[in-house]
Amino acid sequence: MSDDIILDIRNVTKRFPGVTALDNVSIQIRRGEIHGLCGENGAGKSTLMKILSGVYPHGDYEGTIIYDGKELNLGVGAIRQAREEGIAIVYQELTLVPNMTVGENVFLGKEPVERGSIDWNKLYADTRDILAKYRLDVSPQSVVKYLGVGKMQMVEIAKALSENAKILILDEPTSALTESEIDKLMEILENLRSHGVTCIYITHKLEEFFRITDSVTILRDGKTVATLPTRELTQEKLVSYMVGREMKERFPRGHRQPGEVIFEVTDLHAVDPNETSRKVLNGVTFNLRRGEILGIAGLMGSGRTELVTTIFGEYGKITGGSIKLEGQEIRVSDARDAMHKGISLVPEDRKGQGLVLMQSILKNISLANLDQFSGFMRIDGDAELAAATQQAKALAVKAPNLQVRVDSLSGGNQQKVVIAKWLLSNPKILIMDDPTRGIDVGAKYEIYKLMNDLAERGVSIIMISSELEEVLGMSDRIMVMHEGRSTRTLEIAEASQERIMALATGIADELVAA
Amino acid sequence: MAVSTNVNTPKPSAGLGAELGKRFRSNIQTYTIILALVAIWILFAVLTNGAFFTAQNVSNLFRQMTVTSFLAIGMVFVIVTGNIDLSVGKLAGFVSVVAAYFQANVWYQMMPDQPLIAATLSVIIGVGVGVLFGVLQGYIIAFLNVPAFIVTLGGMFVLNGLILLVTQGKTIPANQPYFSEIAQGYLPPIAGWVIAAIVVVFLFWNMFRSRQSRARHGFELPNLGLELTVTIFFSLLVVGYVYWVNQYRGVQTPVLLLAITAMIMAYVSNNTRFGRYAYAIGGNREAARLSGINIRRSIFLIFVLMGLLSGIAGIVLASYVGYGTTAAGQGYELDAIASAILGGTSTLGGVGTVFGALIGSLIMSSLTTGLQMLNVAPAWQYLVKGGVLVLAVYADVYFKKNR
Repeated sequence: MSDDIILDIRNVTKRFPGVTALDNVSIQIRRGEIHGLCGENGAGKSTLMKILSGVYPHGDYEGTIIYDGKELNLGVGAIRQAREEGIAIVYQELTLVPNMTVGENVFLGKEPVERGSIDWNKLYADTRDILAKYRLDVSPQSVVKYLGVGKMQMVEIAKALSENAKILILDEPTSALTESEIDKLMEILENLRSHGVTCIYITHKLEEFFRITDSVTILRDGKTVATLPTRELTQEKLVSYMVGREMKERFPRGHRQPGEVIFEVTDLHAVDPNETSRKVLNGVTFNLRRGEILGIAGLMGSGRTELVTTIFGEYGKITGGSIKLEGQEIRVSDARDAMHKGISLVPEDRKGQGLVLMQSILKNISLANLDQFSGFMRIDGDAELAAATQQAKALAVKAPNLQVRVDSLSGGNQQKVVIAKWLLSNPKILIMDDPTRGIDVGAKYEIYKLMNDLAERGVSIIMISSELEEVLGMSDRIMVMHEGRSTRTLEIAEASQERIMALATGIADELVAA
Repeated sequence: MAVSTNVNTPKPSAGLGAELGKRFRSNIQTYTIILALVAIWILFAVLTNGAFFTAQNVSNLFRQMTVTSFLAIGMVFVIVTGNIDLSVGKLAGFVSVVAAYFQANVWYQMMPDQPLIAATLSVIIGVGVGVLFGVLQGYIIAFLNVPAFIVTLGGMFVLNGLILLVTQGKTIPANQPYFSEIAQGYLPPIAGWVIAAIVVVFLFWNMFRSRQSRARHGFELPNLGLELTVTIFFSLLVVGYVYWVNQYRGVQTPVLLLAITAMIMAYVSNNTRFGRYAYAIGGNREAARLSGINIRRSIFLIFVLMGLLSGIAGIVLASYVGYGTTAAGQGYELDAIASAILGGTSTLGGVGTVFGALIGSLIMSSLTTGLQMLNVAPAWQYLVKGGVLVLAVYADVYFKKNR
């Protein structure tokens, strides 16, 4: 391996209002290597990738990036330019046109043209050559939508390579693949390496770093922790690099005594309602006590969101197991039914699922509970306003009045509106799916305090969080999920970041606990 | 914590001018469209040397807008939920020929000397046909998941066929006593004044009731001067309209019918769950679903409502033209969609008002009337209307971006 550096990221800092996503990050990537990038959710990996791919243009961040001997200078809206420079990203979510053939997708936007019309023979011949060169086993004429996810990924890779990519960035390429597809991908990557293509490989599955990468950089809280050759690393070392930090006083501590068990999930199995052959829950067991905050930890794709939306009656088709509320077995049919039974869900995607952005704070708060204010026909507008005002005050929503449209509010205030909406039905169980995602530290603190208050008043809270610190800081107990299963429920006293990470990544618990 | 809650804190009451300015800025879209209407009126008044504003012309102008306005009101709800209905013109047309058929053929043979009962039955049957067709289309759209565009496009073809079946290609007279009164009748001047008085009393009563209720809940009261100004302004509009059309032959029955329908539907859109859910579904379907809203049921009911309003429009149409013809309702769906969009309804869903659609409809009929008075050829009338529609939406896009 040469010491020829193809990409030199020097002291890059990227700030968003209220958050520093990247803090003085420096990484050197050698030509022809497969470089792993490792870190918790929110460590700054995706921000870095967005800088490299031109989503955040030059000047939008501090620091310099030397690419192939000269400074990378991507203009505004330069996603195209990044590709032309030879930096290609294969995203987790594939970006192919399903109704087109493999060849059409590979050459989309750069079709070979002969006297004004597309030269189809050349297009398919060139596609065939690229596929053959990198031993990608797909037919150029296949229609993409009939291919499996693994093959689609090959098409994505071929598309990137057809533009003479010098650096290929793979963002969690295996998250949707089966074991044999993963094996195939690893072969392809080794073949790419033998052709001198540089890869940056991002994954949550730690064992893959050891399988394929030459070196690994660990990011944490937007900072580079270390870059090490893979052979000097072990899984335990990796985990401790990922989480190794001290807990700060960022979480208000509640004083509460959780009561009796009011909610029990036993060995819950469920499948994707749109694709019943796909299992999303493979045996989840946990219980929830009155006035308790139960944290659910797990990596992206571990089935956390699928679990809570299934409980809420809005996602998975239950194929086995039971859900009991106050000792009675329940079957929740939909969101309305869940609310009647006393379950509320603050959904994961605030803008996509929680709010009607073009409407006022008032209408958003009351939307799910208009029954409370209406007779047969008429909504009592004043009662509605009174109830919403009370909620907005209790949650300290900062706005001149409740007629303000929610899309003009900050993320933290929007989240308070969503929470206000779901508290209006007086739930016994409040499920919060990543309640502090993308909001600033001050607003986070207010939401934590609110959660403590609610728990003290006897509301039971299930909180999903991608931030380990948050789970550890707020929960009474923590249930860790891995690949659709609940692994263990840890008492807060026995929980640590290392232990959760070990359970969440599927490494045996004992390895780290020892 | 230094958390201040600004919700509902009383603030010093600003001057009337400032309050009006604020209100104007927050409703810029509504006011832009009203200003456009006024500009068009002034333009025509000047070009026609004032003939545009004669009592007879104003009277006709309002009557002309009624059929499309019923459709436009329903269309607001349909578009707000992110759907479209292309069949409304033909549905109104079909209802008009069905009503004409019963008037001319069935009742005449069954009870030749009972025109009042006959007319009543025709109305019931016509509206019933509209509702039934709405039920059918709504069921296919909401429960069988076929896109509304396709269902209603198919519906348009089907209705065209049904119209030909009923008429047998001939024109059916629908100008019998009582039935004609529905769209051709005038209220006696005194009745017009009584209605105007009722409306004015209602406007003031509603304003004070709403203030009382707000005060009881401990809310900050809006500036009294501002509210009075607005209420007086609307009262003057009503009184002025009645005064002016009474100079001719009085308030027309279809306009009264439209006004009542519009008020009911405006109320429904704001103050019932049905209305609120429509806006929520169009604004963010996923959030609406997770809020426990039964989306299928809402969409179904919206199309039933659209059918009902198409039924009313069809009856008014038959009564107004006095015939059921093969071309009845041709192209009305496009006028209805154009009116709703001119009035600020967003094709992306979630935004739109009944009031706006009425103004949009009034603009369309003002253009028609004005251009006809100027003897502009029909070809040019279409060119102008199309241009105005696109220009109005562009102006809206432009102002939103540069606010």
